[in-house]
Amino acid sequence: MKFIFKNEKETLAFAEKFAKNFRGGEVVALIGELGAGKTVFTKGLAHGLGIKERVQSPTFLLMKIYNIHPSTGSGHKIKNLVHVDAYRLSGAAELANIGILDWLGRPDTVTVIEWADKVVELLRDRKVIKIKMELGKKEEERKIEVIGK
Amino acid sequence: MKILGIETSCDETSAAVVLSDGRNFEVKSNIVSSQIKIHAKYGGVVPEVAARIHVEAILPVVEAALGKDGAKKIDAVAVAAGPGLITSLLVGNEVARILSYLWKKPLIGVNHMEAHIYANWLLNQKINFPVLCLVVSGGHTELILMRGHGKYEVIGETRDDAAGECFDKTAKILGLGYPGGPAIAAEAAKFTVQSSWFIEKLPRPMMATPDFDFSFSGLKTAVLYAARDLKNKYKMEEIIPAMAYEIQEAIVDVLIAKTMKAAKKYNVKTVMLAGGVSANKRLRERFVEAMKKELPGVEWSVPPFEYCTDNAAMVAAAGYFHAAKKDFTSWQKLKVDPNWEL
Repeated sequence: MKFIFKNEKETLAFAEKFAKNFRGGEVVALIGELGAGKTVFTKGLAHGLGIKERVQSPTFLLMKIYNIHPSTGSGHKIKNLVHVDAYRLSGAAELANIGILDWLGRPDTVTVIEWADKVVELLRDRKVIKIKMELGKKEEERKIEVIGK
Repeated sequence: MKILGIETSCDETSAAVVLSDGRNFEVKSNIVSSQIKIHAKYGGVVPEVAARIHVEAILPVVEAALGKDGAKKIDAVAVAAGPGLITSLLVGNEVARILSYLWKKPLIGVNHMEAHIYANWLLNQKINFPVLCLVVSGGHTELILMRGHGKYEVIGETRDDAAGECFDKTAKILGLGYPGGPAIAAEAAKFTVQSSWFIEKLPRPMMATPDFDFSFSGLKTAVLYAARDLKNKYKMEEIIPAMAYEIQEAIVDVLIAKTMKAAKKYNVKTVMLAGGVSANKRLRERFVEAMKKELPGVEWSVPPFEYCTDNAAMVAAAGYFHAAKKDFTSWQKLKVDPNWEL
């Protein structure tokens, strides 16, 4: 399915609604160039999952883990959001080295991977929600395509 | 008290011996083995490569820091236990735990960002609280209010990308090297406003908002659009110095404006810089100018260049204040925390 969003607000709102369908174990692969809105999309997902903490770019630390407290969650059994950024990585093995396999597909966890196209080996044979993001013609416009699920 | 500091959060392996009485800090040794050249070809730190190089470097670096005195007069071991890359952190922390066990010396787990702040104490100046510190690095952009040693209140932070990350990513868009901060600064230095035929204007995100938060993701996107449009009109190499200059000005403008505003609001006695980005010359210049002009009665501090980037002397300095309060962690219990927030 393809969508066009006029501004950041619309992207955030879409992602927030999108996350409401999650049941746990989802792996979201975000693909798009610098500035395409991958971190913004993740912020929306986090909000939709009931995370109050601020979601910052994980480029430097590569992986950030956000805990979801049962009281803030919307009745689902998801306890963690794992936010990964493969921007600086050259392959899937590197992500395995920092412990991604402990989280990927865990029934109480949603994993979001920015620059997922850099770690395709890791995602092969897994059920993945692929989201392609592109800059639009106008400054804040973004084109988003959801593939899978 | 003599403290051995160990630092392996990212891509520098470092050990230092610092002697202090709480007022004066004497850096006996500060050995830093940098991997930056190795990682530059990958455009960033490769975790597994970093860990392996830390393993190779850590013992010689610790030995060099201890010197001929060896372990004899060390009173405590301080190690940066996070935030950072887990694979890198583990190397320094395992070594620190083993030394603590073998030497029967107390162990201190220091927060890496706290260590950056304490680099300012290595200048041996009296620092009066409350202190406001702008902590800027590849992974952090925060305004931290300190009402005393070890008391941190984050009053503002980035909502998306860190300032150092913005340097890295915009440098990448312009086709400059890694790390982006020094690359942008070097290009910017070639530019003079007066003699230029080309000037690019970029936004200053969130500069005028009433809070103390930052946002650099929009600046990155603005550079992306500008580069995309300008590529068709000019040769990129001709306009890169002007772009680099404007990127640096935009980042520095916002950092300085928010820091000054926060310093006024909280009525602090001292304002400081800390973190890798505080090695940026333009930021240092503008900070000192702004302090003199806007807050003439307030003291300020900027760590020396060698203590801005990752080093173990700053870890030992922060460790001292924990040791003075007997705030130790046993070697059995010390754990690294890659996401540790102050």
